[in-house]
Amino acid sequence: MQNFKKYFIAATAAFAFVSCSNDDQNAVSNNLTLEFNNTFKNTTIVLGDAASASATANTSAAGQVHHFSELKYVISNIRLVKEDGSEVPYNVNDLDKGAAVIDQSKTASLSYVLTNVPSASYKLIKFGLGIKPEQNTLDQVRFPKFYAAAGANDTQMMWEWGSGYRFTKVEGFYDTDNKAMSIHTGSTVEGTAGAYTQGVNAYRDITLNLTTNAVVGSSAPKIKIKADFDKMLSGKINTITLSTGTGMNDNATPNVHTAAQMVKFVDNLGGNGTNDISGMFSVTAVEN
Amino acid sequence: MKKIIPLLSVVLLLISCSNTDDEMIAIDNPEIALNIPTGFPEPNEFVRFNKPTKYGVELGEKLFSDKRFSADNTISCSSCHIQENAFTDGKAQGIGIEGRIGLRNTPSIQNLMFMKFYNWDGSKLQLENQPLVPIITHEEMDSSILDVIGKIQNDASYADLFKKAFGDAAITPERIYKSIAQFEYSLVSANSKYDKVKRKEGESFTAGEAKGFEIFQQKCASCHSTELFTDQSFRNIGFPLNTNSNEAGRARVTGITADYMSFRVPTLRNIEYTAPYGSFGQFPTLKAVLDYFDNGVLEAENLDPIFKNNGSSIPLTEEEKNNLIAFMKTLSDTAFVKQ
Ligand code: HEC
Ligand code: HEC
Repeated sequence: MQNFKKYFIAATAAFAFVSCSNDDQNAVSNNLTLEFNNTFKNTTIVLGDAASASATANTSAAGQVHHFSELKYVISNIRLVKEDGSEVPYNVNDLDKGAAVIDQSKTASLSYVLTNVPSASYKLIKFGLGIKPEQNTLDQVRFPKFYAAAGANDTQMMWEWGSGYRFTKVEGFYDTDNKAMSIHTGSTVEGTAGAYTQGVNAYRDITLNLTTNAVVGSSAPKIKIKADFDKMLSGKINTITLSTGTGMNDNATPNVHTAAQMVKFVDNLGGNGTNDISGMFSVTAVEN
Repeated sequence: MKKIIPLLSVVLLLISCSNTDDEMIAIDNPEIALNIPTGFPEPNEFVRFNKPTKYGVELGEKLFSDKRFSADNTISCSSCHIQENAFTDGKAQGIGIEGRIGLRNTPSIQNLMFMKFYNWDGSKLQLENQPLVPIITHEEMDSSILDVIGKIQNDASYADLFKKAFGDAAITPERIYKSIAQFEYSLVSANSKYDKVKRKEGESFTAGEAKGFEIFQQKCASCHSTELFTDQSFRNIGFPLNTNSNEAGRARVTGITADYMSFRVPTLRNIEYTAPYGSFGQFPTLKAVLDYFDNGVLEAENLDPIFKNNGSSIPLTEEEKNNLIAFMKTLSDTAFVKQ
C-alpha cells in the first residue's frame, strides 16, 4: 500500500508537470500582490524596544499608551471573488503555497505575491487570519516550507503545547512604566468541524470589498490592505484594558492563552465571523 | 488524461494486492490482548484504532528511550519518564536539553489507555497526538519529527522493527506516534497491595492502612475516585500558584474562566514513587500535601465547592495523615516500577 502511494504520487506529479507546461498562466500579469500596511489608525507602525524613542506609540480607548517590539500574524485560505460572484480559491489546501507569516520586522514579508491567478476582474477578497483547524496540526511532512517559516528562531509562530501555529504574536510595552505585553493567539480546538469536543477556534475568516476591481491578466494588480492594530485594544467588539498579574482576568502577558481573555483579542483583530467580518483589516487602494 | 489516472491506480492497486504483507502482519505480529483489570473504566475511544501489537509495543519502547529524539541527542522520553519512578523524573518541573526548565511537573505514565484526557490540562484527547509536543517543545527536546526521522532512518535495527510492526520498513511520523502510544497503552498498573486485597488474593491491610482507606473514602474519594483514583475532572483546589504567565490550567485549553488554574485530578496509583507533587512540584512529600490540605488552601473564585463549602481545607489529625499515607502506599505496584 505504501508503495502504491509512492507510485501514485510520482504518477500524479508527472501528470501535473505535463499539465503545467500546457498552460500559460505563468505570465507576470497574472500575479496579484497583497501589500500589508500595519498601522495604528493611519500611522504605519515602527517597532521598538521598551525605551525606544522612534517606536510608534498609540493610546487605547481605555487610555493606555502602548507600542510594539514585535508584530506577526498568519494569513491563509485566500479566495478572490469575481464580478459575477464566483469564488477563485488560491492554494487554500496547501499552506506551503497559500499561507504566509506577515512580519512587521521583515519588509519582504509585507508583500505577498499570488502567482498564476486566473485572468478576471475581482471585486472582493477573502482570507483567513490564522489557520483552519483541519490544517492547524504542525504537519511538517505535508507543509515543510510553512512549518520551517513559522518555526524559525526569529519567527516563533508555533504553539508547541497546542501542536498548532500561533495566529498572531504581538510583543510590546504599555502604560507609562512600559510594562511588558505579550499577546498571542491560536486555536486549541479538538475534534472535527461541527463537532469540536473542546477548545477555542481562533481562526477568523476576513471578507474585504475592493475599492475598485482588481483586474488580473492585463496587469499585475496590487491590493493595499491596512491592518489597524489600534483595533486590538479598541475594537469594534471589545474595549480592552490591559492588566498585569496572574489573576484570571489579567491579560497583558501570555496567560491571555486562557482563551477566555484571548478570544477578546481574536474578535477585535479578526472579527467575530457574524456581524464583523473584517476585524482590523480594510482595503485602502487597488493599483491596477 | 483523466481516464489514465484511475486506470493506473487500478493497476497499481492490483499489484499491491498481490503483495502478502498484510497476511504477514497477521501471522507475525499478534495483537496483544487488552486485559482490562476488573473495575477499570472503558478504554479511551481511540485505542481501537491503534491496538497494541507485539512489535508495535517493542518498537514504541525502543523509540521511547532513544535520545536522538532531542536536538542534541541527550534526552529521550525515558529521561523524564523513568520507570523506577512510575515514569516520572523526581524533579519539580521537567528538565529538557541544556538544562532548560519546563512549565510543569512530569506526570506518571500508567493506565493511560483508560484516560480520556492527557496532560495536566487535558489538552490532548488522543495519545497518538501527544508525542509531537515534547519533541518540538523548546524546554523539552527542541527538535522536529523530520529531524528525528533523519537521525534514525539508517539504523538497521529500526528498519527491522518497523517492518515487523507495520509491514514495511518505512519510517513515518504516524508510525512513530502510533508505536509510542501502543507502548504506553501496554503500561497497565493493577498489581498493588490494594489490588490484591481487593481481589482477595491472600493479602490484607494493616490496621493503619485500613483506617487510612476509611478516611480516604470519606475525604478524598469524591475526586480521586474509580480504580484509577481519579474521576478525570478538572478542578481548582487552591494549590500554590505557578506564576509563570503561560500557566492557566485547564482554561488555557477551554477558554472558560471557571477553568482557570484547574487541573486534572491526578491518579494516586504509585504515588509513593512520583514525588514531588503538584502541577509544578510544589510539595516535596505526601506529608506536605496533607499538611497543606489541613492548614487551608488558597482562596479562588472558582475554588472547588468541596473546599469552598468546608472552610477551604480538609482538616486532618496527625494520625489520620499517617494512616492516609500508609493507605496511599498500598497503591504501589513494585512489579510495575521494576523495584
Ligand atoms: C523534559 C522532560 C520530558 C520529556 C523529554 C518528555 N516528557 Fe512527557 N511529559 C513531561 C511533562 C512535564 C508532562 C506534562 C505536560 C503538561 O501537562 O502540559 C508530560 C506529559 C506526558 C504525557 C501525558 C501523561 C498524562 O498523564 O496525561 C505523556 C503520555 C508523555 N508525556 C509522553 C512522553 C513521550 C512519548 C515523550 C517522548 C517523545 C515525552 N513524554 C518526553 C515531561 C517530559
Ligand atoms: C475536590 C477534589 C479533590 C479532593 C477532595 C482531594 N483531591 Fe487530591 N487532588 C485534586 C486535584 C485537582 C489535584 C491536582 C491539583 C493541582 O496540582 O493543582 C490533587 C492532587 C493531589 C495530590 C498530588 C498528586 C500528584 O501526582 O502531584 C495528592 C497526593 C492528593 N491530591 C491526595 C489527596 C488526598 C489524600 C485527599 C484526601 C485527604 C485528596 N487528595 C482530596 C483533587 C482533590
